[in-house]
Amino acid sequence: MVCACREDGEWRILGRNPAIYPIRSRDTRMRALLAFARAVGHLTDAVYAAIRWLTLVMILVGALNALARYATRYTGVSLASNAAFDLQWYMFSLIFLLGAAYGLRHDVHVRVDVLYGRVAPRTRAWIDLVGTVLFLVPFCVMMLLTSWPAVRNSWAVREGSPDPGGLARYPIKTVLLVCFALLLLQALAQIITGIAELRDGTTEPSAGESPGTPVPGGL
Amino acid sequence: MEGLWGPAMFLVALILIFSGFPVAFVLAGTGLLFAGLGTLTGHFDPALLLAMPERAFGTMSNYTLLAVPFFIFMGATLEKSRLAEQLLESIGIFFGRFRGGLGLGVVVVGALLAAATGVVGASVTAMGLISLPVMLRHGYQREFSLGVIAAAGTLGQIIPPSIVLIVLGDQLGVSVGSLFRAAVVPGLILTGCYALFVIGTAAFRPTVAPALPREVHDIGTRRLVRLLLGSLLPPLFLILVVLGSIFAGIATPTEAGALGALGAMILAALNRQFTRAGLSEAMHETTRLTIMVVFLLVGSMTFALVFRGLNGDLWLEQLLTNLPGGVIGFLIVVNLIVFALGFFIDFFEIAFIIVPLVAPPAALLGIDLTWLGVLLAMNMQASFLTPPFGFSLFYLRGVTPAEIPTTAIYRGVIPFIIIQVLVVAGMILVR
Repeated sequence: MVCACREDGEWRILGRNPAIYPIRSRDTRMRALLAFARAVGHLTDAVYAAIRWLTLVMILVGALNALARYATRYTGVSLASNAAFDLQWYMFSLIFLLGAAYGLRHDVHVRVDVLYGRVAPRTRAWIDLVGTVLFLVPFCVMMLLTSWPAVRNSWAVREGSPDPGGLARYPIKTVLLVCFALLLLQALAQIITGIAELRDGTTEPSAGESPGTPVPGGL
Repeated sequence: MEGLWGPAMFLVALILIFSGFPVAFVLAGTGLLFAGLGTLTGHFDPALLLAMPERAFGTMSNYTLLAVPFFIFMGATLEKSRLAEQLLESIGIFFGRFRGGLGLGVVVVGALLAAATGVVGASVTAMGLISLPVMLRHGYQREFSLGVIAAAGTLGQIIPPSIVLIVLGDQLGVSVGSLFRAAVVPGLILTGCYALFVIGTAAFRPTVAPALPREVHDIGTRRLVRLLLGSLLPPLFLILVVLGSIFAGIATPTEAGALGALGAMILAALNRQFTRAGLSEAMHETTRLTIMVVFLLVGSMTFALVFRGLNGDLWLEQLLTNLPGGVIGFLIVVNLIVFALGFFIDFFEIAFIIVPLVAPPAALLGIDLTWLGVLLAMNMQASFLTPPFGFSLFYLRGVTPAEIPTTAIYRGVIPFIIIQVLVVAGMILVR
């Protein structure tokens, strides 16, 4: 099985991320779980591939909105549209909500690696496993539980935009649920691969990734 | 017992952050942990957590934060446009004839790029690749060269437009436009201090920063003028579009960011550097950073919600408003905390964790929040430079040859960190 991160040759990965290294296990039950984890990983990457171009669309919509507002001001003819205005932040929301699971899988979320960068890969695997179980999973569950009634209400009244001509609100609010469902799935996948790695101890980061490299892309 | 929840929660979060687990999830997890403990002991009302989805929706539709991906994309596109490279070459030739000139050129280019974009990485990388070899070849001292490049490249975060200021504006609840306006003079003062340091070094220690030999800079006036114009016009155009439209009041920072991103693409295309691969990479970078920033925010919102639910904000308010020395005491303590944290965590974490906690006490003390934002941004400038985890140091490390030891970079930035601290102290004194 080839891991799906191959196209991301440009990634510099902080620390280690068990989910993107192929892990084999002798145990059949474990093998089934690992297959599940890999399937989730593919889903996560597929979602990311779909949202990746949204950035460009968001920028073009944003620039058009700005130009339309100037044009309105100087010509007096209203060219600005609330739908287009809403569209730019819908894109923004889609990008980070649907990209969250990808961020987890590919270690995008920022870490403080004063110590993490110096400890053994096994210790890092433990930190990630315990952190995912104790922090991330409860967080996803809490967000799902609290968002559910809010989203249901939004659907019940088919919540629209407070602005005339704006986009309906209930679909974008639903994405919040999708976000945390995907994040929860990916978290479970991370737990499975983490356990497999700790039990079998078969994987090491491949060459070229140095643990303790800073998160790229600070500003 | 009642008063211990706040400090305990704060301390636990700080310790757990150092485990290396993603900060966003540590913050959210710590929040939930204390929500659970508080509920069990009757100090926390779990119904408060029902506010979380509404806060998340608030983040999704946050018009100010929308500017962040726009400016990230703009910076990433410019980085690939080779604009910085051309600017460094022409300014280097122009200034190179003077002692310390190359160093001064780096400071000037750093400030120009800073006013054109809101990011730091691009400038440091370009200078490390273009200027550093030239400086070393012509006898510049290694530490001095590295320090100038790291410091000047970091100017992007204090000189508007700047992502740091956008995030601070959002967290302090002040207008980003006025924050930009308020940051111009302090940013220029800092640039001036860097320039003075370079000039002073060249004057008193000529061997550290010598002039370039004649054959390097003598390329004929005509060619020099053409080079200078060709490299200066594109960034000036961007500064006009982005900063000009914000300061003239015809565009919001978000609109200016979108236009700037479009403008950067156009400039890259004019420079024949606009490729599908480059575009794809810029989108990739923007998406990743957006995910990271927003989730950090959502995590710290969970933390803050529980922190308030346990009256931690009252504890902090009491603590910070009753410091000896009143306003000055408050400013010194907050700045020391931010500076110390800056060694280990970067400005996003500081902005999302510390700033919302110190803003209400600051307002109570009658401190102008816009001014506080600029002061904190000035302070955080140092966090980009402080070893071992300053972002600029990493960028520079990434593009310098292996025979340059990392400790040389660390030694090189020390004078600039001192300048930084002096400027922050000066801002507090002349307030």
